[in-house]
Amino acid sequence: MEARLGGPCVKFGDGVNTDVIIPGRYLVSIDPAELAEHAFEPLGPEVQARVRSSPVIVAGSNFGCGSAREQAATCLIGAGVRAVVARSFARVFFRNCINTGLLAVECPAAAEAARDGDEVWVDHRAGRVEVAGQSFAFTPYPESLRRILESGGLIPYLKQILAAQAARER
Amino acid sequence: MNLVEKILARASGRARVTPGEVVVADVDRILLHDLSCYLTARVFEEEVRQPVCHPDRVVVVFDHHFSPPTEEQARMLQENRAWARRHGFHLFDCGSGNIHHVALHAGFIRPGTVVVGSDSHTPVHGTLGCFATGLGNYSHAALGLPFGKAWFRVPELVRIELEGTTGLGVTPRDVALFLTGQIGEGGMVYRALEFAGPYLEGLEVFDRWLFPLITVDVGAKSGHVQPDERTLSFLAELTGERPEAVRGDGDDVAEVRGWTVDGLEPQVACPPTVGNVHPVTESAGVPIQWAELGGHGGGRLQDIRLAARVLRGRRVHPQVRFNVVPSSRWVFTQALREGLVEDLHRAGATWFPPSTGSNQAINMGALAADETMVSTHARNFPGRNGGGRMYLASALTVAASAVAGCLADPREFVR
Repeated sequence: MEARLGGPCVKFGDGVNTDVIIPGRYLVSIDPAELAEHAFEPLGPEVQARVRSSPVIVAGSNFGCGSAREQAATCLIGAGVRAVVARSFARVFFRNCINTGLLAVECPAAAEAARDGDEVWVDHRAGRVEVAGQSFAFTPYPESLRRILESGGLIPYLKQILAAQAARER
Repeated sequence: MNLVEKILARASGRARVTPGEVVVADVDRILLHDLSCYLTARVFEEEVRQPVCHPDRVVVVFDHHFSPPTEEQARMLQENRAWARRHGFHLFDCGSGNIHHVALHAGFIRPGTVVVGSDSHTPVHGTLGCFATGLGNYSHAALGLPFGKAWFRVPELVRIELEGTTGLGVTPRDVALFLTGQIGEGGMVYRALEFAGPYLEGLEVFDRWLFPLITVDVGAKSGHVQPDERTLSFLAELTGERPEAVRGDGDDVAEVRGWTVDGLEPQVACPPTVGNVHPVTESAGVPIQWAELGGHGGGRLQDIRLAARVLRGRRVHPQVRFNVVPSSRWVFTQALREGLVEDLHRAGATWFPPSTGSNQAINMGALAADETMVSTHARNFPGRNGGGRMYLASALTVAASAVAGCLADPREFVR
């Protein structure tokens, strides 16, 4: 994961739930590309197209509330989303973002300032969000979680550890 | 330390932990249902490919399907079944009941332990004094199954104190709905909740259950009740063994919030979300076509008894289909013994197999666009059960509405 990533954003309001992000009937898939086709389907094709062309999602409070489904994070990765900046996240969604390697940043001031379509850039190591030239600070991830995130999620992180272990034993 | 800190400290091999710290803890129980089992198995077998560390800690319950309606779903269940058997997990097949009720009745939940699951309502097990929370499938596949562990950020604790006495026709479910509305969705994000106070402590275990159940819907990480004499005798009766109780020290609470239940009216969560809670009187008269007892919070013996109080000597309204889904085979057995199966059947209700009911309309409960359902379920987001509108209420309100053909104040039916 690059230290700084971003681009134009699509902005949502408060309380976007997992049934809206990825409806329950698609949950048999674990393929990000396949899931991406159905991301935000309940909001219609225009919103879906906007999400696919926006590397950043900006949202209000409690983004990702509802079910514990990981596909709510992986479908966004499949749709090309690199970061979600929100006033607050539902905790399971936030956790699933770390475990699937999607950058989720809680930064109320930035979420407030960003308008739909603005350029939003995130530097997760420095703890900074830039919105249309303005800069906002957030608390960077603790190192243990940053390592999982930067590996691309819990599975790649585990594979790295297992590979390192195997190399030591050789 | 508070109860959550004590449990996480023990499970991560530390003398103490403090809020904000990230710990890697031993997991005592992993609960998977038919949907999450399939995904966890795929990630585990395709990506992780390690041996399972503690197969005896894994419990699989098929609760969204009581019988697969399509060949595709039959194949999915078949794969789950084979996977669970191959690894030696505890397997409860279709018709066993709701995942959380089955896990509790089978004696898998012990105070002071760490319980995780993919179902977002897993925090309900805090009822018995566990640290219980919902995790994604990757957590189970990458850390839970191969190493018996999970990472947690230690949450701050908020104590919620409830006092007072409810009036006729007002049940613990009404109080839990009221609290959800008061706290608000996302009102407790990342926090752990301790439900306490004389009202709560006076409730039996399965009525206390309705409080940790709201944890996820107010955004919190876990919710619990400190184990007391009632918890321990419940477990002693269930398992024949009296467990050790771990209790918090009463300090280390970030915030205390209190409510009285005096004068509370029956409550309803209106569409489109679980936090849109109002007194039933504001929605009375809204026509309904479906009523259901079932789900994580419904289908308890307590719900079936409440419904029978309304339905004895009355008939379900001709325009309403009233479906009853016991939360476990044990509940159905008890309902049979108490004559409740016949009472509800005679009144025109339809009994369904023990399961999680119409949650996500996998086996039942799909709505046409202009239909309305009132149920004891835990969620009412649009699109969850096809089209239509969903109201969440107590078993008394559900039964009263089924008789009236519209949302109804149950107080007029239980005088």
